Amino acid sequence: MDTAPQTGQLSHQALERLRGLRSEGSHEGIFTSDFSVNEFLMVREAGFEPLGLVVGSCIYHVGVQYSSWSKNQEMTVLSQAMYHARELAMSRMEQEAAALHADGIVGVRLEVKRMEWDQDILEFMAIGTAIAHSAGHPMFKGVGGKPFTSDLSGQDLWLLLQSGYRPLEMVMGSCVYHMAHQGVMRSLGNVGRNAEIEVFTQALYDARELAMERMQREAGEAKAEGVVGVQLKEGSHNWQPHVIEFFAVGTAVTPVEDKSVLPEKLIPQIVLPVND
Amino acid sequence: MSFKDLLKGVVGAVSAQVPQAQDPAEMARQDARMQEWSVALRRNSVPGFVAERLRHTAVGKLPWVSTASPADLLTLHTHGIETLGMVSGNCWFHFGYSWTEGHRDGWNAAIARMQHEASLMGAHAVVEVRLKTRRLNDAEARASMDYAVTGTAVTIKGYAHSGPPLVATVSQLEFARLLEAGILPIGLAVGAHFEWMADPYGWADAQRSFYNQELEVLAGFQRRVRATAVDGMRRHARSLRGSGVLGRVQFTEMFREKGNNEEPTQYLCRHIAFGTTILHRRNQHESLKPRAVLMLGRAKKPSLEAAEDII
Repeated sequence: MDTAPQTGQLSHQALERLRGLRSEGSHEGIFTSDFSVNEFLMVREAGFEPLGLVVGSCIYHVGVQYSSWSKNQEMTVLSQAMYHARELAMSRMEQEAAALHADGIVGVRLEVKRMEWDQDILEFMAIGTAIAHSAGHPMFKGVGGKPFTSDLSGQDLWLLLQSGYRPLEMVMGSCVYHMAHQGVMRSLGNVGRNAEIEVFTQALYDARELAMERMQREAGEAKAEGVVGVQLKEGSHNWQPHVIEFFAVGTAVTPVEDKSVLPEKLIPQIVLPVND
Repeated sequence: MSFKDLLKGVVGAVSAQVPQAQDPAEMARQDARMQEWSVALRRNSVPGFVAERLRHTAVGKLPWVSTASPADLLTLHTHGIETLGMVSGNCWFHFGYSWTEGHRDGWNAAIARMQHEASLMGAHAVVEVRLKTRRLNDAEARASMDYAVTGTAVTIKGYAHSGPPLVATVSQLEFARLLEAGILPIGLAVGAHFEWMADPYGWADAQRSFYNQELEVLAGFQRRVRATAVDGMRRHARSLRGSGVLGRVQFTEMFREKGNNEEPTQYLCRHIAFGTTILHRRNQHESLKPRAVLMLGRAKKPSLEAAEDII
């Protein structure tokens, strides 16, 4: 039994273990990660070891597309660019992870930055921490034997396993959309009235629907059961005001096949934080 | 596999995801899609392709999609709350006649559309609802904006439900906690008020005074605007047959428009209030026997998070 809190020092076992670590030294090289302390502990609680920070980036020139002024339409050239560039950054990050023999990457962040000197050049970056199952169980690999990818934190990974799912891959859907100009005469017709502007409603509804559809289709192709932690982001990367991007992203998950490797089952209990 | 091969695969995947532009067939398909949106929204419905996607998601032909965190997924085992899929709705509304009614009607239309999507999936409730507005900074879109809501549709095992799906801004975990305590979050209540006040004699103004003093006229004006908005929210909550409003968020704004020879100085004040309407029995409390924990990190209030982008 651990009596450390009473004696005011680390438990005997912990001290032994640390002493052992120090005398052995590490012969596997050091790992790097942007984990917080809690995240690191929970990743290990889930049965994984961090291998290292992996990064993929892509600097992309976004092509030109003209939209018709008075029409709602998808800017397919831009949609493709936004998707393709993110996919490139992600796949480069995955390659780094594969080189580390990782089972997966957690805490993936996808960032987009516009280059100052040219508004058509965007920088995409994907960063995450590659991890491997400590007992080397083969089940955790993602689609097609590649490392799984997930934007979930280390704590979330543990919770996900608790609920009987494992991450497969980050799925995303992008749609850049041009909202029609309704014209001065039409907008004058609305002065002094309360009314829905249908053409704008439709544009945003359709754009959101397309982004969601695509993300869901991608999850379907990965043979996922569902997608957790979905975020729907809207952006306008310095395009003209009527052009917007809807970007849906989440982690596709599938039920864990071999329940024996799961961390000890959690029995949730109701607690109420009293200072929140 | 060389990097070039990898690239090939990726490019292939892109074309599969996004259709090619300038293809006449594709253009015709987009036009048809728009036409379907037009017809559907006027009928307070969604196009056939959306309804089909939602139904396929609900029966498991397509993966479910959820804003839930992995912790929220645990409520499936503990409380029988099952995720169906993400739903949304929006309405771009022009409030040239009345800002007050516009804000109410815009949000209500968006929420009704989201509820319609949820009922197509056979949902009992929509949780983790987020509100978002969008404006366009050009002449043709003046006095108008988009009101958008998204959330995750769920079913509750063993719960017999009739009527439109419940709507809650809280996460799935907190939703479960409310249900366990016998409290039903039923919908969002919105109240808004907007008013001009002319000040021809400068009573609201205290620029020339050397004393500390309350600007009573302005304070009273603001109080009245706020009270009217909150009263609107209360009436809305009552019309939803609720017994209370939780997690209220609000926003007040005041402007001054300096007068000239023809027009007096005017003040504009607007206030908007939101909250989750709940239904509970007063004076009947089932204790959850909670264990108190002290959180060292500061948690965000979900209600505030929900409305982060509305203003």
